[in-house]
Amino acid sequence: MNKVTKPKKNHIRKEIYVTAVIFAFIFLCMIFFLYHFIRYDSKDFIYNSFNARFSVFADDVVRGSIYTADGKVMAQTSKDDEGNEIRVYPDERLFSHEVGYVGKGMAGLEASYSFDLLKSHITLDDQINNSLTGIKSPGDNLYTTLDYDAQKAAFEGLGLYDGAVIAIEPETGKIVAMVSKPDYDPNTIAKYWDDINDSSKNSSVLMNRATNGSYPPGSTFKIVTTLAYLREHDEDDTYSYNCNGHIDVDGYTIHCSSNEKHGKENLLQAFSNSCNSAYADIGIHLDREAFINTAEDLYFNKTLPTMLSASKKSAFNIDSDTKESIVGQTAIGQGATSVSPLHMAMLVSAIANDGELMEPYLADKLVSAEGDIVSQTEPVSAGLIMSAEEVDTLNKYMEAVVMDGTSAKVDFGDLSVYGKTGTAEYSENKKLTHSWFVGYASNDDGKQLAIAVIMEGAGYGSKFAAPLAAKVFNAYFEE
Amino acid sequence: MVSVITNFSRITILSYVIIFTLIDCVLLFEPKLNEGLNSILVTIQAVMIVLFLVNGSVVLYFSAEEPRIILLLVLELLFLLIFALVINKITVPVSKGLINNVLFLISMSLITLERLNLTRAARQFIFLIAGVMLSILVVYILRKIPQINRLTFVFGGTGIVLLLLVGLMGVVEYGAKLSLSFGSVSIQPSEFVKLSYLFFISGCIVTFKDFKGFLFAGIGAALHILVLIYSKDLGTAFIFLVTYIFLIFIAYKNYIVLAIELFLGIAGGFIAYNMFPHIQRRFVAWSDPLSVVEDQGYQISQSLFAVGTGSWLGSGLNNGLPNKIPVVVKDFIFAAISEEMGAIVAMCLIIIYMCTFIMIFNVSFNCTYSFYMLVTSGFAIIFAIQTILNIGGVIKFIPSTGVTLPLISYGGSSLVSLLIGIFITECSEDLWHLPSKRKRNYINKR
Repeated sequence: MNKVTKPKKNHIRKEIYVTAVIFAFIFLCMIFFLYHFIRYDSKDFIYNSFNARFSVFADDVVRGSIYTADGKVMAQTSKDDEGNEIRVYPDERLFSHEVGYVGKGMAGLEASYSFDLLKSHITLDDQINNSLTGIKSPGDNLYTTLDYDAQKAAFEGLGLYDGAVIAIEPETGKIVAMVSKPDYDPNTIAKYWDDINDSSKNSSVLMNRATNGSYPPGSTFKIVTTLAYLREHDEDDTYSYNCNGHIDVDGYTIHCSSNEKHGKENLLQAFSNSCNSAYADIGIHLDREAFINTAEDLYFNKTLPTMLSASKKSAFNIDSDTKESIVGQTAIGQGATSVSPLHMAMLVSAIANDGELMEPYLADKLVSAEGDIVSQTEPVSAGLIMSAEEVDTLNKYMEAVVMDGTSAKVDFGDLSVYGKTGTAEYSENKKLTHSWFVGYASNDDGKQLAIAVIMEGAGYGSKFAAPLAAKVFNAYFEE
Repeated sequence: MVSVITNFSRITILSYVIIFTLIDCVLLFEPKLNEGLNSILVTIQAVMIVLFLVNGSVVLYFSAEEPRIILLLVLELLFLLIFALVINKITVPVSKGLINNVLFLISMSLITLERLNLTRAARQFIFLIAGVMLSILVVYILRKIPQINRLTFVFGGTGIVLLLLVGLMGVVEYGAKLSLSFGSVSIQPSEFVKLSYLFFISGCIVTFKDFKGFLFAGIGAALHILVLIYSKDLGTAFIFLVTYIFLIFIAYKNYIVLAIELFLGIAGGFIAYNMFPHIQRRFVAWSDPLSVVEDQGYQISQSLFAVGTGSWLGSGLNNGLPNKIPVVVKDFIFAAISEEMGAIVAMCLIIIYMCTFIMIFNVSFNCTYSFYMLVTSGFAIIFAIQTILNIGGVIKFIPSTGVTLPLISYGGSSLVSLLIGIFITECSEDLWHLPSKRKRNYINKR
């Protein structure tokens, strides 16, 4: 025992320092990790709507306002009779899904720009002065891309129907109008919160149907089928079909609208008449693999390239095992296909922009209370999604729809309009249909606007959605 | 006025912490520095501790308008003074830098707890005084025991029995059995078993040497760890495992055994991951907390909101919302410090923890007796792992394990056990029982 306990001085115990170095290394990694988190990753957390610390920023800064592109107030902070700060939305329901709300949690631009609206970029002198005297500094203001008149035309045009309208400037991707109904009044959302979130009522007013809706595209999908046909036939649109009002595929009958017999028609006529029989025939003869590839090149089954905070993926569900009858229905936009209005608007905006798709965005710039631009969004290209020849052909076809096809009776004024209607069945009852219009217009100055309109359960696209698109075009180009 | 004091104090507190940290890095080489320089540096550090305590208390006093904070401050300053006198009375401290670090961490704890929950801060202060008194008692008892390594199996047995008691009759908290409850008092025996475990392993190695010691230590360690796994206290089980592995490495200097044991440890981790669903949930919460922010990711998300929003300089004391974080006074206290004092202070704190465990290793490197060399090394290892598990969990470096932050988290058992460990470290040169004549010679030599 004595031997063991004998003091051992000057014993080299190198392993102690090996152990120390191993642990010290982990400590240094932690310091670097914390540095990296604060420097780069912390924004995801600070911006999160579950972060309650915004209320602390609000002690020093008055939340900035949100404006349309033409300077109309969408949201601002003012004081009530007792001097408390309240958030006011002067146009009530007009911008509900874009601007969102703040109070009972946050949504929309109020949520994604909350941190920026609570930052103040006034001069440092004023800031120090304010913090010493206890006056709140004014937060930065957000300018959106929305056009007040176009938005109002879309909002009023949709009227009592549920549905969505989204209009995009094709050259930049700026969202000019975006309406989704049912909607809510952000001024009173806290008061009706329980009612709005009552799942038994299934009203889903908080959902923005323009970006997150999921609809059968109906005949508007014929744009995709046409592109698939052109790609398979090396841009040659020679095609002939004799329509007698219906087609039998695999024991399943697909009817033309109102069982109308279109007779002998080429591809352009089939498109402008929106002939279901001809398009079902095209669909079942397309090479499956190529059809799927075309759809996926156009961002079906993929996350849409946008600068928006959220959007729904569109679905295109056929594969080599799918029954022919389903392929035939898919080619005319029924079957298992679903799209968001945003996606359809992006497709037509790419056609209007010579095949180049621009990423849609809603927030244009942040401006300090003194008028200095703090940051500005630059348009971002998502690349060419169709060739010049394809764009030429589709332009011709979509013009025919408006000149002497399904939309010939709609009054678009002096504008050059290119479009496609859709009447989409969405339930067992084939009489109930969604009314679709997708297309774009340009005026003499070459200014353009792409649009997608869906009115739920309204009926024929040519009777409801196309006239609404005309109203939005007129409101936008009138100024 | 209050906001001016708070904002100004952000900068002053930051500078005290930075000065303290810089000196700490120099004091790592304490055994090699000359005495004059050493005492100057140690004195500056002590001044920083006092300034930090006073400044922090003043900010809290003005922003919370709570006179009890000033009373606590007076008591705390008195405590610092008495602590310094007492430790010099009972021994010749081997590392003055280590004492400073411990006092700094305790001050950080008191200020943060006063900010979060004044009642808890007052209780923690009482634990602190009780802990110091108990530590002095332990030191005196250890000095009276001749040949402590004869009691190896007493330490091992007591430890396992205590852990078994917790496993069988413990109170369940957050899915694990951690504490024994006696009326209004509850203690966490595992905190004290950490010390008896060190005495057991060190005793085995020193008494039996070579393979036999390795075997006994291994069997004993395995029994401790199995009982802990049975109680689902996996964080502590992990600490025991890693401590065992590195103590064996330091004692036997065998790199191959280290590699094999680390490999077995990782394999065991994989088995545990597949066996316990609540570990898998913690991994999900760790890899992408925002995806489960309303559920198991809530706590870590709240912690990261706090750290991220506080950013480099922090919001200033009483300006943040650290009480939004669940269990903030225990497991997530580091996030509260980072939110209100800033990430720079938080990084300094990590460096101070690193210096603390290296200083303990310094002590064990220069230790005369191999038994206490092993005990202090083991203590340094436990201190380091516990810090890594806690801070790493708070900043999402690793999945959270529910381990407390040494000397800062609220909790009596943990604080008392750590204080005993610190006192043993500081007194490690004169704990070995020697006949009084030899002892006198030895002290004269120093």
